[in-house]
Amino acid sequence: MHEESFQESAGAAVERSVTLPADPDAVWEHLTDGTLLGEWLEGTVEISPRRGGSIALTPETGPVSWGTVEEVVPGRRIQWSWRTDDGLPTMVEVDLESVETGTLLTVRETLLPWTITGLQPQWLGNGPLEALLSAAA
Amino acid sequence: MDPHPLFAALADPTRLEVLTRLAREGPATATEISSTMPISRQAVTKHLAALDAAGLVERHQSGREVRYTFDPGPLDDVVRWAEGVGDAWDRRLRRLQQSLDQS
Repeated sequence: MHEESFQESAGAAVERSVTLPADPDAVWEHLTDGTLLGEWLEGTVEISPRRGGSIALTPETGPVSWGTVEEVVPGRRIQWSWRTDDGLPTMVEVDLESVETGTLLTVRETLLPWTITGLQPQWLGNGPLEALLSAAA
Repeated sequence: MDPHPLFAALADPTRLEVLTRLAREGPATATEISSTMPISRQAVTKHLAALDAAGLVERHQSGREVRYTFDPGPLDDVVRWAEGVGDAWDRRLRRLQQSLDQS
């Protein structure tokens, strides 16, 4: 269990998938309409669902997350980067796939440590860090 | 938690290699590490100081030299971060599923 956690964090990313009883277009509304999105993100959401648009989540408890929409493929995919004032910048990617029973939604949230001075994107998910984490586990 | 110093400490590939060597092969001095890597003892010492500042190694005096031991503690912060984020998405996706079940 502990080892699995290390492996999961090796790329500093978290991924979850769920099958939803609705078609992708219906699910898409829940991703891009601020009111509907806020209902399941547990807070008040303001979003401009276009590339370069803003996104902000004021949760029921805890600090505000704010950021920028990075990519929008209607009915298929939305991606945004965000952070809290004192937290870590992360990238959230949500992908939708039509399946027989509805829609498979996959969300992936990745730490963006290369926004910190001196860090490079290739640091994530590369061999050396994974080697360290497996040696540590 | 603020893992920024941790990521900064791990950002340098050589430093990461020094740390991985300690994790794999156990405690060592700067001299021992530099004898198995193509870098000077001075460079190793510098990297070990950065790792020490991030809490990733422990120092023990060993005769005239300092022996360094890998401390995985700070990496737990990354694991905890992942668990917290995972729990949040589990909760949110359950909520989305419920609201779509009703509609």
